[in-house]
Amino acid sequence: MKKIFKSKQQDEKVLITRLIKGEQSAFEQVVSDYQNIMLSVARAIVGEAFADEVVQDAWISAIKALPKFEGRSSLKTWLLHIVSNGAKSRVRRENRTVSLDDGWESVSADKFDQRGHRLDNVYAWDVATPEALLANDQLQSIIEHSFQKLPAMQRAALTMYDMEGIEMDEICNILDVSASNVRVLLHRARTTLHHSIEKYQESES
Amino acid sequence: MYQCKDIAEEVNNYIDGHLPLSKRIGLFFHLLICSCCRNYLQQIRSTISVITVSHPKENDETDTKILAKQLHDLCKNHDH
Repeated sequence: MKKIFKSKQQDEKVLITRLIKGEQSAFEQVVSDYQNIMLSVARAIVGEAFADEVVQDAWISAIKALPKFEGRSSLKTWLLHIVSNGAKSRVRRENRTVSLDDGWESVSADKFDQRGHRLDNVYAWDVATPEALLANDQLQSIIEHSFQKLPAMQRAALTMYDMEGIEMDEICNILDVSASNVRVLLHRARTTLHHSIEKYQESES
Repeated sequence: MYQCKDIAEEVNNYIDGHLPLSKRIGLFFHLLICSCCRNYLQQIRSTISVITVSHPKENDETDTKILAKQLHDLCKNHDH
């Protein structure tokens, strides 16, 4: 694991040097790697309407500041902090608030009796490995669709924690929410996606 | 004594190790005696793996090539 981390750090150093030298392909790589997650963070903090503008400003600030980048964090978290700071100041200017409670689809209470026991059986999924589940294009598009319907805060928490492996403390700083709120966001996002996969599994059986 | 509803509410914190030990042990004992909750836990683990592998993305209409070119040009102008 340490080896992978070291080689990632090396790759990043090379990438940053190429960016400072002004290599076009390095710009293409960095934009292709990080534009989507930067947009996710901006949408979570400032909302859909201003997110594109905030991300564009963040890119410009980052490129200007790049020669001063000291590598104390990864390039990804450095970029995410820049976009997060930009989004937070935009929120203050626009006086906006983003609710953590949007779009919450909990495990419905009618699945349990009064003592909290499940009323119906839960069966193991026939095909449990992700590769086997995703062999079906239909499921892949169901997941994409459910993901895009999640509230922006949930999408950002899920992307950073489950897909990008960013530490909980970093996520709290980037989104400016407490660890318990990030845990709630993750729980809600995963529960919603679980519902979608479960529905798909039921329709197939 | 923990019930199925507690597993449904805490399953993600259980998987991520975000629970105090006493609660973790309590839920573990419920899982030992309840096959439905073991299956549910397994389904949530599979869901997380599927999310990680499928890596769904934000809807984004940005032309990344054009953006990269703009940033590249900005960098050149900034240097001069």
